[in-house]
Amino acid sequence: MSTPILEAEDLQKSYGGRRAVDGLSFAVAPGEIFGLLGPNGAGKSTTLAMLSTLFPPDAGRIVIDGVDAVREPNRVRPGLGFVPQELALYPALGARDNLAFFGRIYGLHGRALEQRVDAVLDVVGLRDRAADPVRTFSGGMTRRLNLAAGLVHSPRILFLDEPTVGVDPQSRNFIFDHVRRLRDEGLAILYTSHYMEEVERLCDRVAIVDEGRLLALDTPQALIRGQGQGLLVVGLPPSALAPEARFADALHAAARATVREGLLYLEVRDLNEALLELLALCKERNVALTSLRVLEPSLESVFLKLTGKRLRD
Amino acid sequence: MMGRILALVRKDLQLFFRDPRGLMLVFLMPFMFIVIMRLAMRGAYGDDDAPIRVLAVVEDRGDRAASVLGDLEKLGGFAVETARDGRPLDRAAAAELVADGERPLAVIFPPGFSQALEAGPGESPAPAVVEVMIDPASPVQLVQPLVGTLQGMIERSMYLAMVPRGVDLVIDWVAPQTGSARRAELQTISRQATAGVSGDGGASPVRIERVAPPGMAVEKMPDSFQQNIPGYTVFGIFWIVSLIAHSIHDERRQGTFRRLLVAPLGRGTMLAGKLIPFFLVNLLQAAVMLGAAGAIFGVGLGHSPAGLLVVAVAAAAASSGLGVLVSAFARTEAQIGGLTTMLLLALSAVGGCFVPRVIMPDWLRTVGLASPHAWALDGFQDILVRGQGVVDVLPRAGALLAFAAVFFLVGVWRFRFE
Ligand SMILES: Nc1ncnc2c1ncn2[C@@H]1O[C@H](COP(=O)(O)OP(=O)(O)OP(=O)(O)O)[C@@H](O)[C@H]1O
Ligand SMILES: [Mg+2]
Repeated sequence: MSTPILEAEDLQKSYGGRRAVDGLSFAVAPGEIFGLLGPNGAGKSTTLAMLSTLFPPDAGRIVIDGVDAVREPNRVRPGLGFVPQELALYPALGARDNLAFFGRIYGLHGRALEQRVDAVLDVVGLRDRAADPVRTFSGGMTRRLNLAAGLVHSPRILFLDEPTVGVDPQSRNFIFDHVRRLRDEGLAILYTSHYMEEVERLCDRVAIVDEGRLLALDTPQALIRGQGQGLLVVGLPPSALAPEARFADALHAAARATVREGLLYLEVRDLNEALLELLALCKERNVALTSLRVLEPSLESVFLKLTGKRLRD
Repeated sequence: MMGRILALVRKDLQLFFRDPRGLMLVFLMPFMFIVIMRLAMRGAYGDDDAPIRVLAVVEDRGDRAASVLGDLEKLGGFAVETARDGRPLDRAAAAELVADGERPLAVIFPPGFSQALEAGPGESPAPAVVEVMIDPASPVQLVQPLVGTLQGMIERSMYLAMVPRGVDLVIDWVAPQTGSARRAELQTISRQATAGVSGDGGASPVRIERVAPPGMAVEKMPDSFQQNIPGYTVFGIFWIVSLIAHSIHDERRQGTFRRLLVAPLGRGTMLAGKLIPFFLVNLLQAAVMLGAAGAIFGVGLGHSPAGLLVVAVAAAAASSGLGVLVSAFARTEAQIGGLTTMLLLALSAVGGCFVPRVIMPDWLRTVGLASPHAWALDGFQDILVRGQGVVDVLPRAGALLAFAAVFFLVGVWRFRFE
């Protein structure tokens, strides 16, 4: 990894006693798409908000391009682009007027502004609706414009907080192509999403967070490879799963077995063997399976194993 | 920085001119008040072209009642009706008209009215009671001048009736032998003399005339306008508070505030960008209100446009400051609506926008000094009504700027930049 353009160190943020972000540290390099993956309330938006200087962390350091972003937010702001999770546009103004306004507050004007506005309108495919007031847009179109508004001033670091919710697959692909192109031009991109396959396809590295804490951080491929042949999620009667029963310890085909919320999670090295062993053990102890799911190795299974939670949809 | 402030100003002006509710609140609402009040209060303030219509029921057996009514009409400002449909008005008919709200009031002269007035010294006739029948909902401004004027007219009539009697009395006492021709002559002379004094034909030695204190000029303007045009202009200017508070709330709700917060703007730029457009709208509003009032109703606007500008600028500054203050404290749409409505109506009322402060009790006038509306209103009246100039309104403008500074500082101190 080249020298990071953004470093976060031990970020903390609480809302009235509840920890939203609890000691996150990571670094993002130029030319990298960095994904934050986590269930609802994991602290993804809070993290992006702090990194984009919306509010300072309670504790921890943020260094952007060598500048302490907590102490001197105005020095780093010109280079940051922020696409908030909630739509943030003026509904009464046209698409072009919105974009021109957001360009101007970053100091763009004249020809350069016009060119940038046209360029981002093309990226999100809204050139032909440019004059219409945003309130007449569909949900997906508004979301696309929301993304465009964070791009118009050509930032060097881009924070995308679930930018594609409700966007149709075709437009989404188009946007991804563009985000990749921006990455190739050297932008650092932080990206949150709950679309697993999106993150898998797009992100160079992924941080999995839950309850404000970092659970894993690696390339999607490495995370998936760590899964071996996949994950078995086994439902058993509570008696069998009680700690005294030591059910999990008796399984050897699994690299790791964990019990969480009444389910047994088995990361398997060899699926055939693991299944045979599981069934044999059940027979031996005379317990009946109540459910069984086999998950191929994927970010989804990594996520499920780490958090015991499924992502939305 | 200027470019960014301009961008913010331009954006909020675009939004303002696309929002029919804002346009209505700023331009239409106060102007509508002027027009409605103008139509409604015609006469209440005694405009020349719309005299107060007074019903008179004359039960008097003599001719004194008729002469009092004659004097009243001659005075101007009152139109007396003693008959209806060709028949003399009676008590029942008058009562019905007042009860129906057709006429604001009726005056009833009792049968013994003349007799009571003409009673000489030593005689003691039954006291005559003149009744003024009023719709209880009639405003005091309407009733009070009539009752006062009527009182004056009756006293004068009584005085005139007493003169010949008095002359007789004196003659009886000093020279009882005087012949009747001589008596009549003396009575005529004394009557002419008193008539002169009481203004009944001939030039009265004592008259009342409106003048202004030194340095002020009485501008030609019907009375209800002196109150209403500046009053509702000031009332309207401060409604910008509601627009500012809603605009800031909308930015928060829409999330655009977040984009502004992460942009390289700085708090000063953000605030300037939010307030300047509404400040400009305020100036435009004052110009439109006064201009339209001038054009439509043909009233003069004083002779100091610079003075008007100074007052308008200071008033707009105070209202912008109040906008920041309200935004800092009201968090929800409902709070903004409730707080601005209550605050603005209260400040307008104690500030004298609806009812002139001169008629308020002393303590309320003192309370009114805490309302920027009072200072703005006085400032506008200095120019429009009192005929003063820029220098004269500077103290009022200074007070308004002090209000602006306090509102703004407290508002910014409590403002949530998040
Ligand atoms: N303004 C706020 N006031 C109080 N608590 C908040 C606020 N914003 C977030 N939280 C809390 O902080 C935690 C993290 O929220 P955050 O929005 O960062 O999660 P997220 O990972 O973005 O979730 P999602 O996937 O639903 O967008 C949650 O428990 C949330 O309730
Ligand atoms: Mg979020």
